[in-house]
Amino acid sequence: MMLEFKNVMPFPLKEYKHDDMSVWKNGFSLQFPQKVLLNASSGKGKSTFVSTVYGIRKDYSGTILLDNRPVSELNLDEWVELRRTKLSVIFQDLQLFPSLTAWENLILKNDLTQHKTTDEIEEMLDKLGILDKKHQLCGTLSLGQQQRVAIIRSLLQPFQLLLMDEPFSHLDEENSRIALELINQETDFCKAGYVLTSLGSYHGFNYDCELKL
Amino acid sequence: MLKKILFRESTNFQFIFATAGALIGLTALLLSLQLIMDVRSFHSNEEELFGPNTVVIQKKVTKLTTIGMNSTEFTEKDIDELRSKEFITDVAPFQSADYKVGISEVQGDGLPHFYADMFFQAIPDRFMDVNVDWHWKDTNDYIPIVLPRDFIMIINYGFAQSQGMNQISEELLMAARLTIHINGNGKQKKMIGRVVGFSQKISSILVPESFLKYSNGIYGNNSIKNPSRVFITTKDDSYGELEDLMEQMNLDINKSAIDVAKIKTIVAVVIGIFGIASLLIMLLSLMGFVQYSQLVLSKASYEISTLLRIGYSIKSIVYTFIKQLSITFGIITILSVAIMFCVKIFFVNTWLDENGINIEGSSLTIAIIVALICFVFFIVANYLNIKKTVYKLGKS
Repeated sequence: MMLEFKNVMPFPLKEYKHDDMSVWKNGFSLQFPQKVLLNASSGKGKSTFVSTVYGIRKDYSGTILLDNRPVSELNLDEWVELRRTKLSVIFQDLQLFPSLTAWENLILKNDLTQHKTTDEIEEMLDKLGILDKKHQLCGTLSLGQQQRVAIIRSLLQPFQLLLMDEPFSHLDEENSRIALELINQETDFCKAGYVLTSLGSYHGFNYDCELKL
Repeated sequence: MLKKILFRESTNFQFIFATAGALIGLTALLLSLQLIMDVRSFHSNEEELFGPNTVVIQKKVTKLTTIGMNSTEFTEKDIDELRSKEFITDVAPFQSADYKVGISEVQGDGLPHFYADMFFQAIPDRFMDVNVDWHWKDTNDYIPIVLPRDFIMIINYGFAQSQGMNQISEELLMAARLTIHINGNGKQKKMIGRVVGFSQKISSILVPESFLKYSNGIYGNNSIKNPSRVFITTKDDSYGELEDLMEQMNLDINKSAIDVAKIKTIVAVVIGIFGIASLLIMLLSLMGFVQYSQLVLSKASYEISTLLRIGYSIKSIVYTFIKQLSITFGIITILSVAIMFCVKIFFVNTWLDENGINIEGSSLTIAIIVALICFVFFIVANYLNIKKTVYKLGKS
């Protein structure tokens, strides 16, 4: 999958003084699969970057192209299709359903894609150390546990590009490492790539390319 | 699972109100519809309560008429004027025999000896209120005659008793042949006639139009004048206009015909108001339901936009809502039909029976079709509303 930014400038960041290297000024073109780190301090637009690529925010000037097609041309149905088959995401605010259990949150996604078997999902939960929380309501889980549910959910679909908005912000070093390992494994399995935004800690991450904001 | 997420926040209170409203509205609508149809099927003295309303009109006989100063004839101008009235759908003047008619018994047929002068009139077949064989050709054995039912009453309970005559039953009168004496245009002829029926509505001695035309052609004195009685058919609930016309043309109309017209008008107005009221209730309850689904949608706005973000299609979300509402409204529709049917059977019919009114009863088919139309209308209205709202949430 090809992701391209041409003169993209989100309206809220217009007045801000950006670095010379910033993607907001210069644009870029990335061919996935590859693993990309988007490193920036707070307030420079990491979440905005994820939201614009994922089609949630449209308040920007310039053009974003996915596989050479301007995303502004996509209608809601096309976005939904894209989000089910090519584009996955871990939101910074996770966007889980607090009234459903951890398991229900995952099944809700997997029912749609039929991407994994229940055994595989349980294995993922086990790997991230939250198998015992399977039937607990998401609203009652700690943020770190919820973050791990959100990570697993993002992997329950085929994708070519996985967007991750500070996915390890509530995890300790060890859990981050395990989670990243799982993500790498699934990404390689899908022959896909990802963009990981981070405030500065790399979690021992070997990236192919780094973008700056 | 979708249902669990989307309806999580919905309040039972709102739901119960919307459901109760729709149930009451639809039941009232179906019940009034069923009543309208039942009443339509109601016949009284062969007169339909709804449908074409035929009355005989004639001009009032006044003192001036008696001394020949004014006429009760309907001129061509009068008839044209009647035809031009919007509420009158059919106009047919009575035709009169243009010769002298006398009537006597046929010996051996069981009637006492008598002779009486009389007259013949004819009206178009479509106005006949008795169902008899009304065809006449010159090869026929006899001329069919229809008498007013009042006529035989006068004979039996008035004339016969005072004259010491035997009373005559309708059957006897219909079985006996009569000798018809025709005298006109310098010719005389005796023919055979037979009473074939009695009319409730028309106080005249009627023969088939074909016979009258034929006999007028041979025995007519060419003194044919304008008709003095006219049949008119008026639209439903046009009692007001009919009354105005009576005033304006100084008309005389059979009192009972006027009463029927009046009752028809009142019933039509009352049922119309009932129907409109229940239609309004129905629309209100539809609005209640649209409001309810709007509320559910806005309470589930986070869930809907998140579902769209994790790849659920608009279609599947809208489908979940519509499926749920279809089940709810399907139950409401079936319940409404059932309640309407029970009320009709156990209350309305019983009450009518107790009051001696027999209604054939119309079938439920139309009510069920209307219920289905309401169901479809309801689902479509909600579908459009939900789809619009989900799209809006997906775009924001």
